[in-house]
Amino acid sequence: MDAKTLVIGLGNPILTDDAAGIKVARALRAGPLPAGVDVAELSVGGLALMEAMVGYERAVLIDAIKTRGGAPGQVYTLALDDLPGTLNTASAHDVNLATALATGRRLGAPLPEDADIHIIAIEAEDVLTFGEQCTPAVEAAIPVAARRVLALLQSFA
Amino acid sequence: MQKIMIDPITRLEGHGKITLFLNDEGDLENAYFQIPELRGFEVFSLGRPAEEMPRITQRICGVCPEAHHMAATKALDDLFHVEAPPVAHKVRELFYMAFYVTDHTTHFYALGGPDFVVGPDAPAAERNILGVVAAAGMEAGLAVINCRKRNHHAIKMLGGRAIHPVAGLPGGWSVAVTPEMRDELVRIAEENVEFARFSLQLVDDIVLKNQAYVDLIVGGAYTTPIHYMGLVDANNHVNFYDGKVRVVDPDGVEVVRYAPHEYTQHIAEHVEPFSYLKFPYLKAKGWKGFVGGKESGVYAATPLSRLNAADGMATPLAQEAYEKFYATLGGKPVHHTLACHWARVIEMMYAAERMLELARDPEITNPNVRNIPTETPTEGIGIVEAPRGTLTHHYATDANGILTMVNLIVGTTNNNAPITMSIKQAAQALIKKGEVITDGLLNKIEMAFRSYDPCFSCATHSLPGQMPLEVEVLDASGNVLKRLSQYVD
Repeated sequence: MDAKTLVIGLGNPILTDDAAGIKVARALRAGPLPAGVDVAELSVGGLALMEAMVGYERAVLIDAIKTRGGAPGQVYTLALDDLPGTLNTASAHDVNLATALATGRRLGAPLPEDADIHIIAIEAEDVLTFGEQCTPAVEAAIPVAARRVLALLQSFA
Repeated sequence: MQKIMIDPITRLEGHGKITLFLNDEGDLENAYFQIPELRGFEVFSLGRPAEEMPRITQRICGVCPEAHHMAATKALDDLFHVEAPPVAHKVRELFYMAFYVTDHTTHFYALGGPDFVVGPDAPAAERNILGVVAAAGMEAGLAVINCRKRNHHAIKMLGGRAIHPVAGLPGGWSVAVTPEMRDELVRIAEENVEFARFSLQLVDDIVLKNQAYVDLIVGGAYTTPIHYMGLVDANNHVNFYDGKVRVVDPDGVEVVRYAPHEYTQHIAEHVEPFSYLKFPYLKAKGWKGFVGGKESGVYAATPLSRLNAADGMATPLAQEAYEKFYATLGGKPVHHTLACHWARVIEMMYAAERMLELARDPEITNPNVRNIPTETPTEGIGIVEAPRGTLTHHYATDANGILTMVNLIVGTTNNNAPITMSIKQAAQALIKKGEVITDGLLNKIEMAFRSYDPCFSCATHSLPGQMPLEVEVLDASGNVLKRLSQYVD
């Protein structure tokens, strides 16, 4: 594998603002990217997300998020430990990312260090209604988030 | 770097919320279980060409896209009045078995299984796949990861794309198996059979040889005699891809055995004001409330239900495991919901053996994988067994194939009433005379619903990867006595 950095747009492309991460990934793919960067789309978390990062030195995850009092369209740069992750199996369907990463590393998979996993999150308004369009504030935030990712990628070089 | 606190309590819509109501004596009266429902799927689908449904419906859910893809593809066969060639059915089923092995593996090793392999009383922080690696060894952990990897490869090869397949077409499948692909699929299936053997042995060594675990499975806290549903073949053996839906009563006696197009004659949906999600029940028995037993229309559709609803497994090693299951747990049917985890491993063996049979089938490399539809589309119903229960897709279109009606009954919806009942039962033991034993309440409740592996589609990809769960205990006057969640207690 030549690429060292993986950018992953997360979300559901037909669930209104949940598509934000996927749309940012598509916007990035449409433009020029620094060398050594792969861009992927993923609709799952946990183990599959960890497996996607195997072999890369760095990862940038882009996802929709809902926070207390957040304004839709706000773009955040977060670190892995900003997420409320614990090592239990509280999820009904998947292990959380921290557990998945710990499992992968325990089993010897080459994975980025926690400090090399960056998160760009976009505050969502509606993630429960089926639709191909994001709400206006989130739609407007997609190029903003894409520029943020690009700046981050350039800072790695 | 900006630091913000992501408080899952704010994401109320994304919560699984359980409300426990106490009576005047302070004992548990009722349990409500609410999960968020995604809105507007029908509106989203109507007006689109029906042949888009295999690709659209798999986006409903990040957990079992392959099952939706398959149910939709079969509904299209019916809608366009076209029979797929025999080899297309075989390739579809081969693909579907690879999916089943992966899905059941992930659930057993990473999600439900840790309660047993690591131990139900182990600290929550150890009850995960890491704990399984510690208890069962590095070899087990690597085997799980390798199993996922080789089957994801098979799914991609046969489905045209990883995770969200594109191969399903009315009248067939777009991917034909070449001899080179066949050789690779045979190898993958052989490894799957070995892995399933290893997993059954693990159940034997770690769970069955530990009396405390067996007592937990067969103990009363997780035992609910109800009706059981599952797809069966002509011999009443478990089938995931095709057949008739059979329902047996709590004594194991067949109540109905229906073809997909007959489902509306047998299944109705009850509505409760507290839940967006409906509660399907058997029309033959009627809705009698959240109660089990022969007279209640409540049924479950889970791996355990499938085993109970069938007379056996169609492959030899799975059949052997099936016989041992019933001999160990006291005969058929088994009502212990936690036995679902063992049932899942038996099904993993069936899926692996069936995959090998199909990969070795001399016809599998026949390139004739599609019949072109020539009839005017009308209405179609497709049923498969999703890992989490019987999955029904029902569409109607105009003469141009544009959707005018969409109805889906998904795996977890089938189990909505039994999940509510199991939670109530688990909580009952921990609440007496107004005393709420909070220690372990959340985990006992979680264990009750984890055995159903319920599908909370919107929570599955969220970055923390956790389904926020909140439990509220209300007294007879509606005052909140306790509020618990994974994050605030």
